[in-house]
Amino acid sequence: MCVRKPLAVVAILLAVVMQWAGPSAPRAQAPEQKTTVIIDILGTPGKKINIAVPEFTVVSGTDSAGAAKLLASVTGSDLTFSGLFSVVAGTGAIPPNNPVMLAQSWQEFAAAGAHAGLHGLLAVRSDRLEGEMRLYDLTTPEHRLIATKKFETPIAQPRRLAHKIADEVVLQFTGEPGIADTKLAYVAGPRGAKEIVMADYDGIGLAPVTHNGSINLTPVWSPDARSLAYTSYKQGYPDLYRVFPFERRPEQTLAAFVGINSSPAFSPDGKSLALTLSMHGNPEIYVLTLATGTIRRLTRNAGIDTEPTWAPSGRQLAFISDRNGAPAVYVMDAEGTSVRQLTAGGFHTQPRWSPKGDSLVYTARQGVHDLWIVNVDGSNPRKLTGGEADSQGATWAPNGRHLAFQSNRNGHWQIFAMLADGSAPEAVTRGPGDSTSPSWSPRLP
Amino acid sequence: MLTRCSHLALSSLLVAAVVLSGCAKRPATLQAAAPAPTGAASTTAATPPPSAPSQPMQSGPTTSAPTPTPSTARPVVKDFAAIAELADVFFDFDKYDIRPTDAKTLDANANWLKSNPNHLVLIEGHCDERGTNEYNLALGERRAKSTMNYLVSQGVQANRITIISYGEERPQCTEHNEACWAKNRRAHFLVKPR
Repeated sequence: MCVRKPLAVVAILLAVVMQWAGPSAPRAQAPEQKTTVIIDILGTPGKKINIAVPEFTVVSGTDSAGAAKLLASVTGSDLTFSGLFSVVAGTGAIPPNNPVMLAQSWQEFAAAGAHAGLHGLLAVRSDRLEGEMRLYDLTTPEHRLIATKKFETPIAQPRRLAHKIADEVVLQFTGEPGIADTKLAYVAGPRGAKEIVMADYDGIGLAPVTHNGSINLTPVWSPDARSLAYTSYKQGYPDLYRVFPFERRPEQTLAAFVGINSSPAFSPDGKSLALTLSMHGNPEIYVLTLATGTIRRLTRNAGIDTEPTWAPSGRQLAFISDRNGAPAVYVMDAEGTSVRQLTAGGFHTQPRWSPKGDSLVYTARQGVHDLWIVNVDGSNPRKLTGGEADSQGATWAPNGRHLAFQSNRNGHWQIFAMLADGSAPEAVTRGPGDSTSPSWSPRLP
Repeated sequence: MLTRCSHLALSSLLVAAVVLSGCAKRPATLQAAAPAPTGAASTTAATPPPSAPSQPMQSGPTTSAPTPTPSTARPVVKDFAAIAELADVFFDFDKYDIRPTDAKTLDANANWLKSNPNHLVLIEGHCDERGTNEYNLALGERRAKSTMNYLVSQGVQANRITIISYGEERPQCTEHNEACWAKNRRAHFLVKPR
């Protein structure tokens, strides 16, 4: 077998990561400037790493389902989506255990402009797929091996194997894993008959989450990516529930007080849920401690206070309020004190704090809805979308590099994804039905 | 092992007791003049927490939690039905105040309710599709509430009234134009016998 022992993989990975960690990190045996070449490409605005992703090589078992081709295709799409890579096309598979052919292949890809080469090895077992990623630096004459890592998934999940490999490639080049192995939950269906569904981040593999025939709204992932909180009218009133879509585990009722129970937002540690309740007369923000069932009121104002979103530190929340006129984004600490207004002069809703903590995306209404982003100190508000259609309801990818949102630019509501600077928007959902209110999951466990 | 099990069962009962007493205290309807409580900093939530003593595994992921939910403290929405005698009232864009023409409609509605004291009323607040979901949920509740307040000011007992907001989720007109939006910015009335 040509696959390495896991221990060796860890050692190599560690070496590569440490090499990129900074000048004080211990040196690995590979020459330093070789990785610097790749980093330099990423450091140049607009420059992408050209990566060759040939068809995976089947090293064991029979690939009757054509997984080797699919894996290369999906991994390539994931890397393209990341915005960091440009995939160099090639045809044919590299034969197993053939260093000469491999070297020749890399030489051809390098001549075509590739900076890096991803060689995937696939073992098809009876119940599972085992994939090994081997990443090569094609800017070196010897095509230096940068990293290698093994993954496995159930036999029916070749796309997930590809996503894991793509995320590892992104990790090798940026120090942070990619976001391909994530899900998007969203609301599907017309008004009056909305159900929660989920799909892979690229829209493939649609699966129902609710099927109660009622109105289900605003799904939000928990930080462990194992559950979703959402609002449903299934018991008649807008109440909050928590569902575990990957487990045979009963759904929980989180809040069913008189009035509105909505706008859930899990705290970063997953122990609490910020939510909106109107049981005391008008919409206010509360925090529910999940382990004890205790609720704590954070806002106390005659205006509408809703749509809480946690800072990644867990020490602050942003929310919207119309206490000073049109709804605007406000920030408070987790005790409900030190309230300050972050945005003004518009009709601003749907704030979502970025995973890095430095900015918030929100929706501004000026005729149509557009997405804006503002620094956490309120400075430099800038528009991310534009045009004659609505773009609203943004959700951050866990690495903070992408946003998903809903737009009706093609005549009906679809989920779109784009880079966080507003570039490269593309539709994620493609069917004729309405898709709204996306929530991007953390990386899957 | 047996002791451990009975211990668990006991704590389950305790949790259930807390939940039930929590439910009992909750008002069945929003009171028109009820001030926001200012006392206790925390309240017991609606249901046992996720980490409560383990509940029996049920058949599917969408099964409801087996414990009683406080929605039983609220009248059952589907028991209510619309009647011709109670007409809708409408609202300006992003507004929730009662317009003079609609006040006349509400006067008539109040009169009907006062002469039919054996009926409970459910007021639905609705919005047009513009605006975002959560804000519209809040706006719809404001519309239902200002409608309720008007009826109470006309002598309808507050404890006969329940309000619910559908935000923009249940439009009666689905075209994307002002004529249609105007029809959707409404408060709608349903009744059921006590």
